[in-house]
Amino acid sequence: MAGIIKQEKETTLYLGPQHPGITGNMMIELKVTGDTIQRGKTHVGYLHRGFEKLMEERLWMQCFPIVCRICVPEPDPNEENLARAIEELEGREVPERAKYIRVLVLEMSRLATYLLWMGGQSGSAGLYTMPQWTVGDRDYILDLFEELTGGRVYHMYIWAGGVRRDLPDGFKGRVLKVMDYLEERLVEYDRLLFENAIFLKRAIGVGVIDKEKAMEWGVVGPPLRGCGIAHDVRKDEPYEVYDKLDWELITHEGGDVYSRAMVRRKEIEQSISIIRQVLDKMPSGPVHNPGPNPLKWKVPSGEAYVRTESARGEFGYYVVSDGSLRPRRVHVRGPAYVHGVSLLERMLPGTNIADVSFIMNSLGTCPPEIER
Amino acid sequence: MSDELKQEQEITQIIHKTFKSAAVEIKRAGRLAVKLRSDLLPPFISYLKDYMQFKHLVMISGVDWIEENAFELVYHLYSYERKIHVMVKVRLDRNNPQMQTLLPFWDHAGTYEREIHEMLGIHFEGNPDLGEFILEDWDDIPPMRRDFKTVEYVNDLYEWREGREDRQDVRKTIAEQYDETIPDFDKEEK
Repeated sequence: MAGIIKQEKETTLYLGPQHPGITGNMMIELKVTGDTIQRGKTHVGYLHRGFEKLMEERLWMQCFPIVCRICVPEPDPNEENLARAIEELEGREVPERAKYIRVLVLEMSRLATYLLWMGGQSGSAGLYTMPQWTVGDRDYILDLFEELTGGRVYHMYIWAGGVRRDLPDGFKGRVLKVMDYLEERLVEYDRLLFENAIFLKRAIGVGVIDKEKAMEWGVVGPPLRGCGIAHDVRKDEPYEVYDKLDWELITHEGGDVYSRAMVRRKEIEQSISIIRQVLDKMPSGPVHNPGPNPLKWKVPSGEAYVRTESARGEFGYYVVSDGSLRPRRVHVRGPAYVHGVSLLERMLPGTNIADVSFIMNSLGTCPPEIER
Repeated sequence: MSDELKQEQEITQIIHKTFKSAAVEIKRAGRLAVKLRSDLLPPFISYLKDYMQFKHLVMISGVDWIEENAFELVYHLYSYERKIHVMVKVRLDRNNPQMQTLLPFWDHAGTYEREIHEMLGIHFEGNPDLGEFILEDWDDIPPMRRDFKTVEYVNDLYEWREGREDRQDVRKTIAEQYDETIPDFDKEEK
């Protein structure tokens, strides 16, 4: 049949902006011969909401409901980053208990993101049972978020000076119950996905990132650790109370989709362990160090860059204040900005059409944070 | 000074020795800010990357300082070995903003430059791909500039929803409903 489609003939194929394999709304323009990709180009702009411009016209307090919308599946690193940047500018102390609660929230959000990723990753390989299971299990974490913060997806819980309110009565027990449940489920996930012959065949050796080049290409987070390079913001530049907890960096050699999956798989276990430690070690005390009247809140002029290890890699906020009621500039660095545009474009040539969304999922591409 | 900032001071001294016009400020442990002449940026970045292990380009930010008639570009570099973050800041003339590209050093610098070109209107010499990134068919001034009027733009483009002309205060409605008084924040100013 090779005669029908000439090998040299180049066809343009548009993947997205509405496509079940694309994580969100973005378009990849593919130049293909047969089903081999020659070049790919990312087109974004379908989700641009201009948050950075909006924040320049908002009071500092009004920025918190904005930033959590920058990344839909994982809003908490945004809130934590903005809060920490403001605290750095103001020199405001955060109560110890609030720091522990922040770590709890961040790790719960990491778990929820990994569960959602597991669904996307297996869905793009044609394993449709996994998405049903993981999205269902993610709901147990969202239930906990709802109880703690009042919101299921956008929490607006972490703010400058601490967190909005203390843990409800009996919350600790309910978190531990969900953690026990998830740990049991991991056995099933292993059987269904991580040891699945179809998944192994699809994932091993696909979407390889060169270990030598990974850092130069701006790879961060699980894809970087999947190349066997041990870097994690939680270890490199510990924030909140990560330096007081007992946990190890997880790496996996290979740099392909499989090693990235294994890093995330092991980090799920680790997150569960971190959550248990946090609940165990959490001191009592206040959870918020109040600042001035929010309508008259001026942040001292200066600039701060803070970073968090989100489930997809380094999340950073560069906040500039000119000492007025409103931020001068808030610039958000999302890991998908590099992973979804320049890295993906570099990885696509030579791959198969069927592997595009598979690779995209494994890189953790998130269009809302590319465009903001 | 304390031992904590020893490495930061060491880097400061090395930079001072190599680039005399660079003004280095230690902001806190692990954070350095360098003010630099804009024409020195490529050699400076290349020096940091190749000799000082600052291999990770975190991002490039653009800030509009309209009062001082300048754009500021902030290049965020991070060294995994030293665990230090450097913000290299250069100022550009706001009337004719031009900068040299960092594409030869990092692949993904191109994406940041493309966005800054679109959002602030800064031209990057040597970047072949400065086309549309996020916006489509944009013919106004670049939107992240401070003199871009967001409210005017919205008023031109969209219509106000009926019933909102009186700019009713939601707090007033709620206060009337629950028979409460609205707190006057102006009086509480310290």
